[in-house]
Parts: sequence; structure tokens; C-alpha cells
Amino acid sequence: MIHYNIFSPYSSSREGLFLRRAHASLSCLSLRVAALLNLAKIAIGCSAKAAALVLLFLVLLFPCVACGDVSVSIKLDRKEATLVDSVQLVVSVSGSRSSDLQPIVRGLEGFNVTQGGTASRLEIINGKVNAGVDYTYFIQPKQPGRFQIGPAEVTVEGKTFSSNTATITIIKQPQASGVDRGPLFLSAGLSPTRAYVEEQPTYTARLYRQVKVSDISLDLPETEHLVFKQLGKPLEYQSVLDGKTYQVLEVRYALVPSQEGLYTIGPTRMTMTVYQPRRRTSPGLFDDPFFSDPFFSFSTGRPMTLASEPQALTVLPLPETGRPADFSGLVGRFDVESKLEPTTIKAGESATLTVLLSGRGNVNRIPNLQGPELSHTKVYADEPVLKVETDAEGLAGTKTMKWALVPEKQGHYEIPPLSVSFFDTTTHQYRVIKTQPLSLSVLRGEPGMLQASSQRADEHPSEGPGKKAVKELGRDILPVHTSAKDLAAGYRIRPGHVLSWLVLMVPPFLYGATFWGLRFRKKSDQSIAVIKARKAAKKLIQKCRKGKISSSELALSLRDYLNERFDLALGSLTPDEGAAILRSKGVSLKTAQRFQSVLHRLEDAVYTGKGHERCDSLEEVPKLIKQIQKEMR
Amino acid sequence: MTLLAFLLVANGLGAENQQSEALFFRANEAYKEGRFQEAVDGYSQLIQSGHETGHLFYNLGNAYFRLNQIGWAILNYERARLLMPRDADLNFNLRYARDQTQDAVPESQGVMNTAFFWLDTFNLHELFWGFAVFNVVFWAILMTRLLIRPAWIFYPILVVLILWFIAGFSLGLKWYQVHSDERGVIVQEEISVLAGPDINDTVLFKLHAGTEVCHERSEDGWSLVSLPDKKRGWVKQEAVERINGTEKGANFSGVI
Repeated sequence: MIHYNIFSPYSSSREGLFLRRAHASLSCLSLRVAALLNLAKIAIGCSAKAAALVLLFLVLLFPCVACGDVSVSIKLDRKEATLVDSVQLVVSVSGSRSSDLQPIVRGLEGFNVTQGGTASRLEIINGKVNAGVDYTYFIQPKQPGRFQIGPAEVTVEGKTFSSNTATITIIKQPQASGVDRGPLFLSAGLSPTRAYVEEQPTYTARLYRQVKVSDISLDLPETEHLVFKQLGKPLEYQSVLDGKTYQVLEVRYALVPSQEGLYTIGPTRMTMTVYQPRRRTSPGLFDDPFFSDPFFSFSTGRPMTLASEPQALTVLPLPETGRPADFSGLVGRFDVESKLEPTTIKAGESATLTVLLSGRGNVNRIPNLQGPELSHTKVYADEPVLKVETDAEGLAGTKTMKWALVPEKQGHYEIPPLSVSFFDTTTHQYRVIKTQPLSLSVLRGEPGMLQASSQRADEHPSEGPGKKAVKELGRDILPVHTSAKDLAAGYRIRPGHVLSWLVLMVPPFLYGATFWGLRFRKKSDQSIAVIKARKAAKKLIQKCRKGKISSSELALSLRDYLNERFDLALGSLTPDEGAAILRSKGVSLKTAQRFQSVLHRLEDAVYTGKGHERCDSLEEVPKLIKQIQKEMR
Repeated sequence: MTLLAFLLVANGLGAENQQSEALFFRANEAYKEGRFQEAVDGYSQLIQSGHETGHLFYNLGNAYFRLNQIGWAILNYERARLLMPRDADLNFNLRYARDQTQDAVPESQGVMNTAFFWLDTFNLHELFWGFAVFNVVFWAILMTRLLIRPAWIFYPILVVLILWFIAGFSLGLKWYQVHSDERGVIVQEEISVLAGPDINDTVLFKLHAGTEVCHERSEDGWSLVSLPDKKRGWVKQEAVERINGTEKGANFSGVI
């Protein structure tokens, strides 16, 4: 038995369904927000607070990002329903989190419509922010028939956007069986019950329930030469059977028979935990209708296994009559398209022939077609790409095949049609479908291109689906340079030329010149000071040697000497100041004290009224000045 | 008088430039119309007249390639590469021309070229001017230190000194490479490499047009050449052309 785990617990009431949907939407949103938060935390590698700020920024940023590209789509949860069923219709708006008005959905005249709520979406996929809003409706058909629903129209910021359409077939309610099957049962169906080998009839298992269940798992029957392929996700909807409302869980499979014969498909089994409301034995405080609400119904779960009824399937062999010689086993409904780009090229260049073979059925058996055979043309085939999808109707797919055509001569080339045969399950006949004949105009090629065209074309294999290595179809040298400026030598100063040495030598020369200039200036300043000092000393010594100088004049001359010698501007000079100045200029203590002593004597002479008399220290002063000069050198 | 003399010289130079441009356009036209020998003559004449630009050597290489003279084509591409080493067209054509040669010769990559990997990317002029710029910056920053002695000057001086040293060393190395470039290209379709400079000597191996060799020395119309895998031998002097040498009478020093 094949075992499937399907669902998590949920309740059975319609209100519960709405609540659950809203909860699912909210959970989904909260999960996305949590994921966003984690993403932001990882991205910035810091605290949750900072991550929340980033998230807030993203959310605030989002409307600006999203409004640019709005799209609307509608989706039904089923393509077939009965008159008593409730079908879910979702109008999804992408690129905006709000619309100006509620969506207007065309084609709902034959249905009773109930609003099912609104849910916002915010996603970041591969760094691209996408947001949207889903409007949910539940529609109940008024009459049987085939209905086209849509397009839905949504207005965002004054602009109206239209959606796709969806089709649903409404059938009459099946006849009441007259058998009460209870609040929980499993049903199975097969359509059609007669099929050809490799055709894919649909097997549907439905769980009808009026009670709360959880932990559902499904065991499919195993039958030799029959393979089950699940079609899409399980569906959940509400339906009425024998006058009772059920919540239905529907799972669809494509059955692929590989051999003819009569098959009995055994019962499908579903295992689950069922929750029954507990009955109170005596009336009391809670014996009020308010407390009979399921919310207050305390229940216990018990495991249960349900089995469906077995199904019979007749598998017919594919007919021998009319079978094409090249039949590859393809069964279903298929179409073929082809295109050639470009349709006019030069000899040696390449054009791409693309053939798309698409349809429903055993798409995995779509054959790889042989490329066209053309004279004077090299044909290089790409790796075919098969894309398979499943939906409620079965398997569908498209195989894309490409060829690079490289004509070697100019002329007009007719590309013959490519054909493929299959067994059509609608008409029960073999069919051969062909591509349209295409034509290619080839002009005269560039010289040197033809012989070089093909040698490396098939050296690089394709790298992944959708992309392939660039094929080198020709090799040649690139053309000559023809601009007149290409003639100019460009460099006027050449390395090794006198000017080049000049360019290199100018900066160090300037530096050297500045360096020596500064040094010379410093020396000059010092020289001037020395000369001034000498002059000052000479002047004082001469005055002393003349012998006719009074004490007051000598005191003034010593002051002037210090002023000139050290570039000072003293108005008067005390003995202590004189000694301090000399000490500060580097004169020894002894000499400074001698200087101080001379000044003291001169001061005494001036203050005792002998200032105008000839000075006694005239012989000592020149020696003292010479000593100062010597120590200052 | 001086002004008149200046005007006469300027006028003469202008006329010479016009002639060169006319010759250049004629050579281009000849190439375009498939008269490749005429294009070769035109480009060679321009090179011999002093227009030794990378573009002209490139065009000359193209013209030789069209004449199916792969050896001369590679020789001129290599000469162009000394002057414009990063030119995409040139590198593409040189690679393609090398693909057309017959001899598989291993490529040798010196230690210095590996360490100073950018030497192949720049020509001598560019390295010279690069060094000149660093030289100015270096002395300017020293001057700043001399005049205002700012506190932040130490690290800039250190960085600029390192760059100045690298640029100077690169320039010196490139200078040496250019002036001691002994590479040559076989320009004849097929030649026999002999054990000695005599036609009767033993044939050691054969080389084909476009193969790059190292030219060691020449004696009496013979050249001693060697390959990176240490194969050595003598070939007729006219069979090998030095990249940094003389081409059909035109001196090319690689330093333009």
C-alpha cells in the first residue's frame, strides 16, 4: 500500500472554515513576516530591534515598489461541481496591497456569491519584493451547465486591471442513495472507466465528513501495470449529499496503465483521528444552548480507518489499424508549432529553427524530432527541453527543440515540415501533425566566412536549462584600424629623450632648490645677528677706550648694547634684568654676575650724584663685553 | 624673418601630414578592396617614414595575414603589442594568428614577469608617465614636509615612497626588457634548423612560419636561434626577423 500523510486538524463547520481560511492567511502572513525578520537579522547581523527597523523600512518602502506592476488573476478550487456544492473563487491582485474598490467579477450571474474575506500577502523571493491581496468568495451554482467566470476587474490608483477567465462545469446533484452513510465516509471514483494503454484516466478519492478529524494519511491500492500520479494539491470544499452538508477533502490522481486488461482497483484507505463531541449525562450549569456551541464541546480523539469502494478499469490496447510507421507511443492530445528566426541571413551565418510540441497525455514520451535535411546547409541540434506540469485534468507538457541552420551558399531554402504521430484519445484514432513549411533566404556571405564557419560549432555543450554556451560559428581576424588619429605617434616625449629626463629631474631639482634656499636664509639670519652683535660690542668698547664717558652714559651704553646685541627694545635696564637676559642667552653665571656687579656700581654712582663723573669701570667693561661675545659664539 | 621661417616650417609639416594621411587612406581602401599587397606597401611606407604607431603595425599584420603570410603577420602584431598591449582587436588577432601556426612551442614565463604581472599590460611610455606622476607626487609631498611639517605627513610619505619605488622599478625592468628583447619570428614558410652556420650541417629540426624564437646572435648571414625547450640551431638570417629590430629596411626599436 502507498502511504500518504495529507492534512493537519481542522473543524467542520462553515464558520470554522472561514475562520480557518482567515487563520491560514494570517499564519501565512505571520510566517512570511517571521521569515522576513530572520532575513533582515541575518542580513544586518544585529539585534532583533534593528531587524524590525529594517523590516519596517521594507514594508514602508514596499508600496512604492509594488505599484508599478499590477496583475490580477482568478482561480477556482475546482473545475467541476454539483448544484449543491460551494466553490471557492479567489481573485489575486499582485503588485498592490489594496485596491480602490472591491473587484468586479463577470460571469457570476448563475451563482449565489458569499464573501469569504481578504488576505494580504508580502513576499521576498530572490530579493524581489512582491505583495498582493487575495479576495476570497464562495459561489454556489443556481443551475447546471458550463460557465465561464471572469474576467475580474480591479481598480488600483484609478487604473483598471483585468484578469484571466476560468471555466467550471456544474452537474446536477447525484440521486440520493437512500443510504445514510453517517457523518464520515470515504468515496472513490474513476473517469473514464474504459481507457487505452498509456491514456490517463482520473482516479478521485473524496473524504466526506461532518466531524473534526486530524492526522489524515492515505493508502492507495497497489495494482500491477497501474501507476498513480498525484494531480495537484488536495482540494477542500463544502458539498451537500443526500440533504446533508459535508466538508469534502478531494485528492486526484492520474492512473497510467502500461498494459491492456481488466483491472480491479482495490479500496483506498484513509487513517485519521476523529474527534466526537462528548455528551453530558446530567443537566446543570452549562445546560444552555450557548454552551452547546462547538467551542465549548470538549471532545476526545480516537483513531479510525476508512475504506472506499473498489473500482473497475478496462484498459484497451492501442488499435493496429492506422498505426503510423513512426508511432512512438505518444497518447493524448498534442499540437505542434514551428518558427524560423531570422528568415533572411548571409551565407555562413546561422538561423534558428524552433519546434514546440505541446499537449496533454503521456508527455514524457514526446519524441525528439530529427532535424531537417537541407542541401549545402549544416544543421546543429540543441538539447531538447521538456517542461511537464500537472493540474486537475492530468499531465501536460511542452518539448522545445531547436536547430541552428548554417547555409554555406546563397539562395532560397525550403525547410520541409517535421511530423510527429500520436494516438488521439478524443477521436480514438491515430493522428499525424506537421509543422508549417518555412523558407529561408540566404544572401551572399562575407569573404573568408564560409570556410571558417563550422569547425567549432558543436564544441560547447549546453549549460543548464534555458541557457546554452555561445556557439562560435565562424573565426576570422578583426578589421584594420582606419581612424586618422591612429596615424599619430601619440607621445611627444619619449623615454630616454632629454625632455623625459628633464620631466623626471624637475621635481627633485625644485625640492633641492627649496631646501638650499631655506638653509641659506636661515644662515643669513644668523649672520646678520652676528654682525649686529659685533657692531654693538665694537661701539661700546670704543666708547670705553676713549676714556671720557660718565657712569650714566656707560649705563645707557650697556643697555643699548644689550638692545642691539639681542634685538631687544629695553627702555631701562636693572642689574638683575641684565644678568637674567645674559643667562637666558647662554652666558655663564660668572660672567652674568660680573655684568650685574658693573651695572650695580654704575647705578650706585648715578644715585649718589656722581653720574656725571668719569666712570671707574672703563677698563673692566671692554673685557667683560669680549667675554660675553666669546661665550655667545 | 623668424616668423616667416616658422610659418614655412609649419606649412611644410602640414603638407607632410596630409600626404601621410592620404597614403594611410589609400592603404585602407586597398585593404578593403582586397588589394592586400598594395595595403602592405602603403602601411610599410608609412612606418618607414616615421609613423611607427601600434595601429599601423596592427594594420600591416592584418594585411600580411590576408596574404597568408602568417610569420610576417605575427611579427607585426608583436611589434604592435609593444606599443598598445591592451588593444582588444590586436590581442584577438594575434591569438587567432598564433592558432594558425604549425609548431607547438611551449610558452616561457619568467619569474620577474610573474611577480611584475602588470608589465605586459602597460607599454614603456605608460610606465614612464606613471613613474613621472609618482615622482611629482613624491617630491611634492617631501616639499610639503619641508615647508609646513604637518603631523600627518609620515604615512602619506611612506605610501608614496613605496609606490614610487614600485613604479620606478617597473619602469627600469620594462626598459631592460624592451632594450634586450631578443625575440624573433620565423617568417619563411618552412626552414631547416641546422647544427652549424653552414648549409651542409646536420638538420636538427624544422620550424614553420609564425613560430617565435629567441635570437641569440648572427654570423655571416646565419642566426643562432633557440626555443624555450632548449632546442638550438642555426637558420638563414633572412628566415627570422627580430621583433625589436629591422623589418625590410625599417628600423624598429620598440621605443617610439
